[in-house]
Amino acid sequence: MPPIFNEPFLAALLTGAIISALPLILAGLGEQMSERAGVMNIGLEGMMMAGALAGFAATLAGLGVWGGMLAGGLVGAAVSVIMVLFCVRQGMNQIIVGIAITLGATGVTSLMHNAWYSRTYPRLDAAEKIALPGLSQIPVLGPGLFTHHPATWAGLFVALVFAFVYRQTFLGLNLASAGEKPDALDAAGIDVTRTRSVAVMVAGAMAGLGGAYMAVIGSGIFVPHMTGGAGYIAIVLAMLARDRPLWVVGGALLFGFCLSATTALQVGGIEVPTDFIQMLPFLAVMAVLVLFGRNARLPRALGQPYHRGQR
Amino acid sequence: MLSLLRSSSAALALLAVTLPPALAADVDTIAIVTPEQGTDFGWNQQGIEGLEAAAEATGTEAIIAQGLGYGNVRPTLRELAEDGAQLIIAHASGYSTEAIEVAKEMGVHMVTGNPSEPPLVANYNLTAEKGAYLAGVLAAKMTKTKVLGIVVSSESPNWNAQSAGFAQGVRAVSPEIELRYAIIGPAAYADVAGARRVTESVIASNADIIFGQGNGSSFGMIQAVETVTPPSGEKVWFIDVIGDKTSIDKGHLLSSVIWDMAPVFTQMVEDVRADVFGTTTYALALEDGSQRLLQTDHIPAEIWAELEAVKAQIMAGEITVDLVLEPAATRAMMSTTVAAAE
Repeated sequence: MPPIFNEPFLAALLTGAIISALPLILAGLGEQMSERAGVMNIGLEGMMMAGALAGFAATLAGLGVWGGMLAGGLVGAAVSVIMVLFCVRQGMNQIIVGIAITLGATGVTSLMHNAWYSRTYPRLDAAEKIALPGLSQIPVLGPGLFTHHPATWAGLFVALVFAFVYRQTFLGLNLASAGEKPDALDAAGIDVTRTRSVAVMVAGAMAGLGGAYMAVIGSGIFVPHMTGGAGYIAIVLAMLARDRPLWVVGGALLFGFCLSATTALQVGGIEVPTDFIQMLPFLAVMAVLVLFGRNARLPRALGQPYHRGQR
Repeated sequence: MLSLLRSSSAALALLAVTLPPALAADVDTIAIVTPEQGTDFGWNQQGIEGLEAAAEATGTEAIIAQGLGYGNVRPTLRELAEDGAQLIIAHASGYSTEAIEVAKEMGVHMVTGNPSEPPLVANYNLTAEKGAYLAGVLAAKMTKTKVLGIVVSSESPNWNAQSAGFAQGVRAVSPEIELRYAIIGPAAYADVAGARRVTESVIASNADIIFGQGNGSSFGMIQAVETVTPPSGEKVWFIDVIGDKTSIDKGHLLSSVIWDMAPVFTQMVEDVRADVFGTTTYALALEDGSQRLLQTDHIPAEIWAELEAVKAQIMAGEITVDLVLEPAATRAMMSTTVAAAE
């Protein structure tokens, strides 16, 4: 192993992998719930941008990391109300409304950045990390994998909550019914519109949290277009993982570790073409999820508006 | 009456021969179109400020169209031409094709990243490999860990040229200094989170000076420089490119390879007036100060004096800085083994 691959360098790579995976996990879990309920949320990228700005602004205003995360989640949910009104309630095309949300949110956040921060580019202090007792002492792996801000652990815990909800609760069953056979759910006396609205707003909140995490913990600064397509990657993860939250986590972590691997290969001076190195994360995630998730299928009513009495 | 017409025609013919072409005399308004707002302390801001300075120097009016994104700019270019702009800087490589079309359609002078097509289209190739060479010399003299980092947002020719210039400057001082070279992504110009992640990894490999080229993503690099230290515990310095971020520095900005576009744009106006527009590629130069190293309080006076001497040697042709534009050739220059062999 080249001398450059010492413990601090490997720890930085592992830390970077987890920090870059978390926004994808949060947004991907949200998208998964929305799709499970039958709504394709293409506006995820825009909701992440809105959450990133809100999270950064709140943290900068003195509300701390948790305040910033909360603000990001709330603003993401608020933006998703557009999706609820136009797609769930009015039955408009989900792809078109989603694209409009992303374009609109990107424009508005750029405008607000220009008004608020473009002369000073304020930066946040590094988010305080907590070392998990025992685990963080493991040589090489410990410092990178088990020393993070608590919001990181909370984000991973949410995946377990989602998995529990889908498998063990009526809410999970209702969400699946809203995406598979909404008329049956309606016949059972459950309001399909309300179920889908809740799912879309949770997706917005999760995307907002992902954006806030990226701005507050991942970068410590907000600049326009900073999500850089993370919302779309989260959509792909959610679609390939189908209705398995832990697969979203696995896919996002794989993506994050591959990103760090690209850095390691470059910094280590490994003679591999950069284009190939930079394709690695995308290739790896697609290969794994396509191979192991090839039997997965999307909900039957995905993307279709529901109107009572219509077939 | 017939003789009057004859003499008028003769007078008009004489005027047509003796006066310069109409295009050459008509520059009173110049314009620039930029993809983002001119508040980025980088490419867009330097372009806009350069145009304003050039307008003042040449007695012309400046029109700024900023934050246009990377979509279709034909309507904006046509509108600027209709508003009287005779020279327009299309300040994004993505604008080149559309700008050339509008130049021919409206008869307006256009500056793009594509090859020149005189008399209406000129090429500008903005990169500062000589300034980057000076930055490399500075970094090599200031490093305590003997490990330097280069972080870039893409492998664009401009970045490649400067990375290679930086490496040449470092090697000129010491072939033993190690260079860590990392690219954030294929076009990660706004990826601040990626920039921070990659820069933190490079610092963790013991680099104590980061030469960062990233547009918006450079703020992520700065965030990393401000918040982490290498294993050796040394303070980390940042060397920026294009703009001057002194006003937002928190004590880590060592220098910047400045791109001052005012002399370049001024030359363009003068060339239109002299009817030689597009006969040369416009570029940044040490001689007119359009590419230079930013002097900050963090650079010791004796090192700055040495840098001035190196600069004089470059301008005198005693030191040659190779212009390297290809990604593979740029990466090859980072190897310590190659440097030692040379």
